[in-house]
Amino acid sequence: MSEKEISEKIKAMLVENLRIPEDALENDSELFGDDIGLDSIDSIEIIAGIDTLFGVQMTGVAKEHFQSIDTLTAYVKEHMENQ
Amino acid sequence: MSDKNRCVVTGLGLICALGDNVGECWENAVNGISGIRDVTVINTDGCYAKKGAVNDTENSDLSEENYDRSSLLCIKAAGEALEDAKISLGSERDIGVIIGNCVGGAASIDSYYRAVKEQGEENVSKEEILKMPASAIANNVSAHYGLKGLTANIVNACAAGTISLSYACDLIRSGEAEIFLAGGSDAFTSLAFAGFHALHALDEHPCSPFNRSSGITLGEGAGILVIESYEHAVQRGARIYCEILGSGVSSDAHHITAPRPDGQGQMSAIKRAVASSGLQPGDIDYINAHGTGTAKNDEAEFLSLHRIFDCSDKLSVSSTKSMTGHCLGAAGSIEAVFTVKALEKGIIPPTVGYTVEDKAILEEKAGKIDFVPNTSRKKELSYAMSNSFAFGGNNASIIFAKNHREIPQENSNSPVYITGLGIVSSSADSADGVDSVKASLTADDYKAHDIKMAFYRKLDRFSQLQLVSGVKALADAEFKADESNENDIGIIIGTSDGPMTEIVNFQKNVIDHGTNGGSAFSFPNTVYNAAGGYFSIFAGIKGYNVTVANGAQSGLQSVCYAHGVISGKEESVMVAAGTDENTDVTEYLYGRYGVRTDDLPYSGGKGFVLGEGSVSIVLESGEYADKHNSKKYAEIVSCGMAHSPKEYSDRRVDGDTVKRAITDACKKAGLFLEQIGFISGFGCGIKEIDDGELEVYRELFGVNKSVLSVKAATGDARAASAAMALAQAAKVLHGDSDIVGKWYQITETGARESEAAAGEYALAVSYGAGGSCSAVIIKKV
Repeated sequence: MSEKEISEKIKAMLVENLRIPEDALENDSELFGDDIGLDSIDSIEIIAGIDTLFGVQMTGVAKEHFQSIDTLTAYVKEHMENQ
Repeated sequence: MSDKNRCVVTGLGLICALGDNVGECWENAVNGISGIRDVTVINTDGCYAKKGAVNDTENSDLSEENYDRSSLLCIKAAGEALEDAKISLGSERDIGVIIGNCVGGAASIDSYYRAVKEQGEENVSKEEILKMPASAIANNVSAHYGLKGLTANIVNACAAGTISLSYACDLIRSGEAEIFLAGGSDAFTSLAFAGFHALHALDEHPCSPFNRSSGITLGEGAGILVIESYEHAVQRGARIYCEILGSGVSSDAHHITAPRPDGQGQMSAIKRAVASSGLQPGDIDYINAHGTGTAKNDEAEFLSLHRIFDCSDKLSVSSTKSMTGHCLGAAGSIEAVFTVKALEKGIIPPTVGYTVEDKAILEEKAGKIDFVPNTSRKKELSYAMSNSFAFGGNNASIIFAKNHREIPQENSNSPVYITGLGIVSSSADSADGVDSVKASLTADDYKAHDIKMAFYRKLDRFSQLQLVSGVKALADAEFKADESNENDIGIIIGTSDGPMTEIVNFQKNVIDHGTNGGSAFSFPNTVYNAAGGYFSIFAGIKGYNVTVANGAQSGLQSVCYAHGVISGKEESVMVAAGTDENTDVTEYLYGRYGVRTDDLPYSGGKGFVLGEGSVSIVLESGEYADKHNSKKYAEIVSCGMAHSPKEYSDRRVDGDTVKRAITDACKKAGLFLEQIGFISGFGCGIKEIDDGELEVYRELFGVNKSVLSVKAATGDARAASAAMALAQAAKVLHGDSDIVGKWYQITETGARESEAAAGEYALAVSYGAGGSCSAVIIKKV
């Protein structure tokens, strides 16, 4: 799966599961900052979504990987390849 | 002071994992026997936690009706309470029913959609739909026992079972009623299990409050108290268990699921309860704590208890949830029954689950507070408190006294004014052939009130409608909450169906993906009080916060409730609202049930145009309004509420109930019927309802009386329409020109469209499925 495909799937998941308006969400938008304002409950949903989409476990993974769609994509790409 | 202010407990009923009645449950509780086991009533495959506290009794052994299990548990406990209070039932009794509940008919929503998926819709009865809303529960209890007192469901999640007791006492003290069955009920559901599982808030092991605090264990049950005025109890020679003194209800205004870490909201409820009881913190002997077993709750509650009660040398605290599990909307009432029994017997049930090592750790952090670990404690008690804290940041505390004690009398004769309106509504103006209409809510609406996307994206439709109407109303009233007034303002929201869309979608997801497939994101919105929670968080409202679910008339019952909160001097300002959503889910449910049609009011139809909206009305005490030079739309001069026992499925209007609500309101206002200029009514399009309504008006007011129908312009937005009826009537009295609604005049056989009316006084009336009616009279200012 290419990075583009992964990031598109993550974006669609965030839009669908977390009701983030699509046009407000760029690949480098800061998810947990003021722009999008995600919180701890949202991170649970992201972990569940990533697991369902890619079979990659992110429970307990460091915060910096949750910063943006880009960082999530990089983490997923790396860990899918390792599997 | 008169005995009228005294509320006493004269009967108890209980069912939970510890037993089928008060005796069994109490014996197990004082012996520290836990009801927590591995769950078998729902599928826990793939779940990291599998514990629960379930009662084994089958639905058919609880009561014979085809109701949701929440109603059946409640009927069982209510029966025991009535028997315990030695109340023999005739054909109809003037006993009210106020029930706290969290998840409503979630078990029935699960089974309906599961059956539709597996067997096809044609093989599932549409009558199952009536088991879904929380609105049905208190009405089912009332119908079962033939009770015609005031009825309401308090749907404030885990604080609901305490708030229901508090509301019953307030209604008795204000002279609205003499006797109630009050308490709470909730069944064990996949909704709650999957939701708390998704939040990682379930303990893998039996919960251990104030100990390991690694999560909750869910339970189920119902606790019912017979609460009556002292005079009423003495008159009928009732045995009195104890008195209920004051109570306190507050909002955290902090987070939708987590309590404030500084315990500020919890302490506010506790302090309100202590003060309204005329006590000092040091007087309290025992607290049945909220004590859920989550780290966040236990830490905040620990802090609150230490801050307020460290002055005391004698306080004992226990969490009976360590044995019953967390019974959500029933929790507060089950714990109230244990608290009353503790006062009666002089025995405190323990918090179980401590090992020797745990006890050593507890000793270090407990300070002077005795947490009653593992074994019950014999101790003479005079004053006992029960605490409940909920999602949405709702907090409630209530105090029971073994012996009589005078409490400060708080009743105000100050007028109450409508000072702000916030309206979000669908429009049915071009409804020809249209059977469903929706309100417009765009990014611009949020922008206009500075609501950021990061906030509103979390909200479901129901909460979004409420948030926007609420902030609009506050802006209209020029009220901005800050440190000087945040505790002087409260919220009452009325709803028929609550966040049904979020609940159904959550449940469908669980059906498709298993109990471990619940959404952590949407679960917080599945509680009916989430909308009030979000609104309080956004607006910084830290006072009273209650959501009432009682059919379509809830949007006017909320005004009656809020009026009482101001008259009882609990708050100076209240936002009373009616809110109901219309989505693909409600369209399906009302369509399947067969009442979604293109019929408009007074047209002799079979259904109604399904609408949606939220109408928030700001009420201020005269003193507050004068001091702040508030704009006054109208004065609320009186409120009347009535109820008659009938099946939730029965669409006919009970004329006698509507008459009682209207004449009660007129009597309180000291008005003759002919002084009412016009009526803002509730006719929706269904012939039986519209005819029943007009018949009452014809009888009371004669023909030619003018009736304003908001539903003719907006569709039937259920609770939102009930609040809208009052809002538009107030605008008419205020001389506004942009009135939403159509005018009718009553004829010998029906009603015909007519010119606009006016007057010195107006009457808003609403009636809901289940048999409750609310009436509010307002006066031109």
